[in-house]
Amino acid sequence: MIGTPDWGHTTSFEDINGDVAIVGIGETEYTKASGRTARDIGAEAAERAIADAGLEPADIDGLTFSGAFADFDVAAFHEQFGTTHEMWSSPWGGGMSWAGTAPYLAARAINAGKARHVLNVFPVAWATQRASMTGGPGEVHATQTAKQNLEVPFGWFPQPVYFATIMRRHMLEFGTTEAQFGAVAVACRRHANLHPGAVMHGKKMTIDDYLASPYLADPLRLFDSCLISDGGAAYVTTSAERAQDLPAPVVVVRGVAEGLSASGTHWSQQRDFTSTPQVFSAPPAFAMAGLTPQDVDVLTAYDPFTVVSLMQIEDMGFCPKGESGRFVEGDTLFHDAGKLPFNPHGGLLSHAYVLGIAHVVELVKQLRGTAAAQVPGAEVGVYGGYTGAHASTLVLTKA
Amino acid sequence: MAIKRADFPLPDLEDELTKEFFAGAARNELVIPRCTACGAWVWYPEPACPACGGELAWTSTSGRARLFSWAVVRRPFLPAFAEMIPFVTALVALEEAPEVRIVTYIVDTDPQELTADLPLEVTFRPLSFPTVPDRAVAVPMFRPRP
Repeated sequence: MIGTPDWGHTTSFEDINGDVAIVGIGETEYTKASGRTARDIGAEAAERAIADAGLEPADIDGLTFSGAFADFDVAAFHEQFGTTHEMWSSPWGGGMSWAGTAPYLAARAINAGKARHVLNVFPVAWATQRASMTGGPGEVHATQTAKQNLEVPFGWFPQPVYFATIMRRHMLEFGTTEAQFGAVAVACRRHANLHPGAVMHGKKMTIDDYLASPYLADPLRLFDSCLISDGGAAYVTTSAERAQDLPAPVVVVRGVAEGLSASGTHWSQQRDFTSTPQVFSAPPAFAMAGLTPQDVDVLTAYDPFTVVSLMQIEDMGFCPKGESGRFVEGDTLFHDAGKLPFNPHGGLLSHAYVLGIAHVVELVKQLRGTAAAQVPGAEVGVYGGYTGAHASTLVLTKA
Repeated sequence: MAIKRADFPLPDLEDELTKEFFAGAARNELVIPRCTACGAWVWYPEPACPACGGELAWTSTSGRARLFSWAVVRRPFLPAFAEMIPFVTALVALEEAPEVRIVTYIVDTDPQELTADLPLEVTFRPLSFPTVPDRAVAVPMFRPRP
């Protein structure tokens, strides 16, 4: 195993290379506060994904969703579509890290004959809900005992402060510069400017704009930080065999893996402070796929803050540890530069903060050849999911 | 999920797992749980030693540490912080057990003077917030060693 194995581990997954394919994708509008509920957003994403797959709601006999949010579960599905059929389901799907591992759950259910067509859905309405949350998306953290007593009273809260501290350490250890973090933000904005559905579609950003943006907590700037959005997306997975009968171009699931940090979401105590559990996830996912980072045509990776993008690029093996700052300078991440096209929809930084589900949908579009900022000739796409405690890696290819 | 405790974001002095940390600070001692069986320092606090299952005892430390990393907070993420900004929140590595990273405030210095691994010492100060009137809790903060 790459890295220092004492601070995390790999979840044991069976080989499902080539067993299943993603055959339908659906997205809602991505917006600032919309006044909509997450359940309503989830229903719309689900309906669009099912239609895109050329299926009817009654054909969907499996559902993966986020148990932590539980905005669109089996009961919501039946209420939305007026159906009553038996459905296999798992609360370990949805967004974040689980947007990458949901196809594994689907493959296991499909291979076991428990389901034929599995829908994974993830909606969020945090832009609408924000005013009623303590510390915004940090609220869930503030309720944890150790954080509430040993971190929050000392001003180490919420996420922008955690990641400012991680950024600082990355700068101290590796010499990473502010402009190098800015290169990630600028690339994501450039892609959002090319993507009519992105929240920041109409707003340009240069590196000078980045360097002029205010610090939230030095060295972390406003433009190092993701948006807060309403929106949702969904995708349908079925067997590779069944996929041949459906209308959409087939995108095959080649590799899936999950890595866990022993310190969970206690970032302060993670032994390898400037790494992500991708260290434990990307190598087994590439091994399952029989591919390497050099084979990847397009990468979408969870980017709540620019430093998380840099750490994941290192930990997934796209450059040596500590060298991501120099690696991303210039046009490396641009969709049309032929190097490492990164978050060509704009990511959480500039597309929408829908917690990774749109990253997977974007990969499917890239491999279908229908993306807004299309990577020429994309055949291999990878998603890097992240929560802090978890990372996931999903390797997809064009059939 | 919202936090109901009226004295938030002061620490909860009734919390079983962490209350000894603040009891130590009240008598000017920086105490950290240590396994009485295998000697491991355990941070954050746990009910028992995660390495060997042994009993933990809150143990006095030197109060000396090195600066691991820090942030200069400029946005008041909670109303309680509004009058404090800018302030320096940091992770410091305990001298006798660098794997123990304590979240703390760095005081008595200009943020511009901070450097990696800067030698620090503990100083116990009352922590209070204008949003929690008439309450103060002694907590460990850190300052550069002379």
